[in-house]
Amino acid sequence: MNFAPETSIDIASAVNRATAPSAESKLKVEKLNFYYGDNHALKNINFDIPEKRVTAMIGPSGCGKSTLLRIFNRMYQLYPGQRAEGKILFDGADLLSKDLDSTVVRSRIGMVFQKPTPFPMSIYDNIAFGVKLHERLSKAQMDERVEWCLRKAAIWEETKDRLHTSALGMSGGQQQRLCIARTIAVRPEVILLDEPTSALDPISTSKIEDLIDELKQEFTIVIVTHNMQQAARCADITSFFYLGELIEVAASNEIFTNPREARTRDYITGRFG
Amino acid sequence: MASLARRRATDYAVKAISVGFAALSLVLLAWILWTLVARGLPALGPHVFTQITAPPGAGGGLLNAIVGSLIQIIVALIIGTPIGLMCGTFLAENGRNTQIGNAVRFVNDVLLSAPSILIGLFVYQLLVVPFGGFSGWAGAIALAIIIIPVVVRTTEDMLNLVPIGLREAAFALGAPQWKVVTFITWRAARAGIVTGILLAIARAAGETAPLLFTSLGNNGWSLSLDAPMASLPIAIYQYAASPFEDWVALAWAGALIITVGVLTLNILSRLVLAKMK
Repeated sequence: MNFAPETSIDIASAVNRATAPSAESKLKVEKLNFYYGDNHALKNINFDIPEKRVTAMIGPSGCGKSTLLRIFNRMYQLYPGQRAEGKILFDGADLLSKDLDSTVVRSRIGMVFQKPTPFPMSIYDNIAFGVKLHERLSKAQMDERVEWCLRKAAIWEETKDRLHTSALGMSGGQQQRLCIARTIAVRPEVILLDEPTSALDPISTSKIEDLIDELKQEFTIVIVTHNMQQAARCADITSFFYLGELIEVAASNEIFTNPREARTRDYITGRFG
Repeated sequence: MASLARRRATDYAVKAISVGFAALSLVLLAWILWTLVARGLPALGPHVFTQITAPPGAGGGLLNAIVGSLIQIIVALIIGTPIGLMCGTFLAENGRNTQIGNAVRFVNDVLLSAPSILIGLFVYQLLVVPFGGFSGWAGAIALAIIIIPVVVRTTEDMLNLVPIGLREAAFALGAPQWKVVTFITWRAARAGIVTGILLAIARAAGETAPLLFTSLGNNGWSLSLDAPMASLPIAIYQYAASPFEDWVALAWAGALIITVGVLTLNILSRLVLAKMK
């Protein structure tokens, strides 16, 4: 695009937010350690996720990026034997503290998974299920909400005539956009995307990438991806994880053109991973 | 080349043996079915469904036994299905790799293979002796104990087939566990769970041993669960051992009715499963 100067200013402040403490960070990870039983999976992570930006996490398989994502919405607590130590401040409150209810955390920090996971019910009910957990809406309000989130997820035109048919009959790309719509419908503040396009074809992938660009107007987005072009295209900030450590965080254009760390350079140039 | 020829010969031999034994078991089944139809069909008539037990030669039927069986199976289902469903759900959702889960699973497997006469004796000691008499309740409860382990097992197996990702997706929206289970996992597994319940009914419908010491059988017309109650398996047991031709014919008719009923349930459950997939 042709707004080069403006973009670079924006990136500069984004870097600030990503590397230095700032009032505008939405999630602030402090001295986080994570264990799968005896396996020390994340080591002393300090990481700020800025509000209304797209933050990408990249790194080879097993580096801990998905693990971190699953801590943000407390998914790990479903599994005994997994434990986190340290702090994650979410608007000032510690996400890891027992005082916060998991269902409330998850309604404010939504998640979309690698494989599309439509529920075995109609498209409409897929969305209504999540909304009804947290709000009591009239039929008209619910209709409105369903349309709103399907439009947001750029799938309204394809689904408006079949809202009451099974979601299992949709294509993989449509199912994934429905899952994004379902997550948006709860009106979270943060959306976590765990390799959301790795099971999709290139056309569906580009639709979802466009969507991510749209969504960052309103939501804070954290995306785990194995696709470095995707991180470069979608993310304002990219972080590189390796063997459970956060190696480097920087504005995406910087990390992909001029990484500070040798390990980051080796990974993005394809020397390992 | 010699070894290739030998491999082919071995392959041929193993295939022939397995096909042979498969055919043998099918022949046995077909033989049983044929005997049943050949003897049961001529004995079937309107009187079988409209008359109750009568003395030999007086034209009695199986009405009381059919109705008694239906009542006891329905009551057994009402008692056994919720217990089995909940227990199976516990095992699949909370009891994976836990000590209590493994213990319950083991006990359930033992119960699943326990001789049914043992279950009859157990209920006899538990309900018939202390309450001073045989009753429909005792029969229904014995059948419920037959049903429970079957439902537990199939429910757990079917819930285990539901992908973890589906549960996580529901949790990720902020759903509490009970809503994840009732609205998502049960719904995803409902075809299999329903099949399990139908199979449990089929199993209970043919059991004689648990009823012998519990509901006993009743030659009169009684709908009371507090009194001894007739049932098809027991009617067959009594009639088949009698020296009277018309009673023996009724036993064949009863056997045919049970078999057709169970077969229908099995086919129905397969259809349900195929349709829901």
